[in-house]
Amino acid sequence: MIVDCHTHWGSVWTEQDGDDPRNWLAVLDRHSVDKAFLFGYENLHRLDHCREDNDRLARVVQHSGGRLIAFGSAWPQTGPASLEEVRHCVQDLGFPALKFHPWIQGFSTADETFGQICGLAGELGAPILLHDGTPCYTMPEQIAGLARRFPRTRFVLGHSGLLWSWRSALEAARQPNVWLCLCGPHMRAIELICHRADPNRLLWGSDFGFGFADSVRYRLAIIKQANIDPALRDQILGINPFRLLDLA
Amino acid sequence: MNIDAYCVLGTDREYDLTADGLLRALDQAEVERAVIAPVDRYLAVDNRIGNDFVLQAAASQPRRFIPACSVNPWYGSAALAEMRLAVGAGARLLVLHPMLQGFIANDELIWPLLDAAAAEKLPVYLHTGPPGNASPWQVTDLANRYPQLDLIMGHCGATDYWNDVNEATLAASNIYLESSLGRPFTFVPRLAIVGAERGLMGSFAPVNALAFEWEQMRLALPPDIVPAVCGENLRRLLEKRGPL
Repeated sequence: MIVDCHTHWGSVWTEQDGDDPRNWLAVLDRHSVDKAFLFGYENLHRLDHCREDNDRLARVVQHSGGRLIAFGSAWPQTGPASLEEVRHCVQDLGFPALKFHPWIQGFSTADETFGQICGLAGELGAPILLHDGTPCYTMPEQIAGLARRFPRTRFVLGHSGLLWSWRSALEAARQPNVWLCLCGPHMRAIELICHRADPNRLLWGSDFGFGFADSVRYRLAIIKQANIDPALRDQILGINPFRLLDLA
Repeated sequence: MNIDAYCVLGTDREYDLTADGLLRALDQAEVERAVIAPVDRYLAVDNRIGNDFVLQAAASQPRRFIPACSVNPWYGSAALAEMRLAVGAGARLLVLHPMLQGFIANDELIWPLLDAAAAEKLPVYLHTGPPGNASPWQVTDLANRYPQLDLIMGHCGATDYWNDVNEATLAASNIYLESSLGRPFTFVPRLAIVGAERGLMGSFAPVNALAFEWEQMRLALPPDIVPAVCGENLRRLLEKRGPL
């Protein structure tokens, strides 16, 4: 079992295929990837498209034969409406988790409403995956700060610090409610993270779907070729994703 | 001729590449030559130790290794002297790493080094990508200030500056893009925009697996530009100082 824990439904796919994920899934098929956590694109780039894109994700997931698991988003700048959007995603649409991109969405992790969202996510049992590795809103340390403030909420560093902050991601993962998605660091960093971090809180992702480029081939090959214990690799690719969502 | 544009030779923290290990990896990937650079520690401090190590390794494998040197610009006149010493001993590339060496890429601090590099027809490789002090447009500033100098944008600004790379590169004719960390699936489409003559294939071994990176790049590159990107573009830059 291979689960890609970091993918997007980019605008280009909507323009090409509407809500039909067959072509999108064909890229996963090419690499024997079974399932994917699916994030939006429009809902991270356009406040005024957020609800529309969350609803679109629900339809795409419905057409995926159980292979896609959607993560919704909201914009804390809208205040109480963003909390309603979180409830809509989790309670109405059945999304098990949330995705935020503070750099693109333009809010600080210190934003008061975002704090309320983090608290609500903890109450709802919905993990929050964030883009990370980018100043000034999404450094691993800032997300670790959220994890300290909201110990009931699970936070996922969506990129494990990317290329230059992976050591910071390792520090962030000392918080017991921080998970790391191996989607961005180079192969040696992935090896070191796998060696040092809690093996039960590691995931893998490709960031596929922003456009048509096939990033799955390269990023899956990295984790398959990395010098890590085969049992741990299997755990990262096929077991931990379900544990994150309490589906194990 | 295939040339790997950036490998790190030595042992320190995440680096563990020996000369024999690099030769094996090059043979496995069917790559004739590799630029070799010092490990991070010797980019930041004690430049002489790193430069001497790389120069000695290259001297023992003159047909396979191409030595790069580095100096921390904060050493001032001593950095300039060390660079000249290393170039005199055979270094063919100057490596600067704004994040590790503690400066902003377009800072006047490095102008004396760039003056000297330009005079020596020595290409300059800048590690780019760390936010704030190593961005593509900072490389463009340098390229515009030193139009006679060849500047290599290491890692194509990966990850956060991926948006800027194409426009920043097109703003100066003397910028070249090194692929490592930029990933084949984003690097190859760039070349269609900035021109294949700007592309340099580098593995950044050992933090990336050399043979794996070459395999992935060859899968992604259109066949007609493989020779240029995989060696000939870099050879053209390096041989401005004379044959390799």
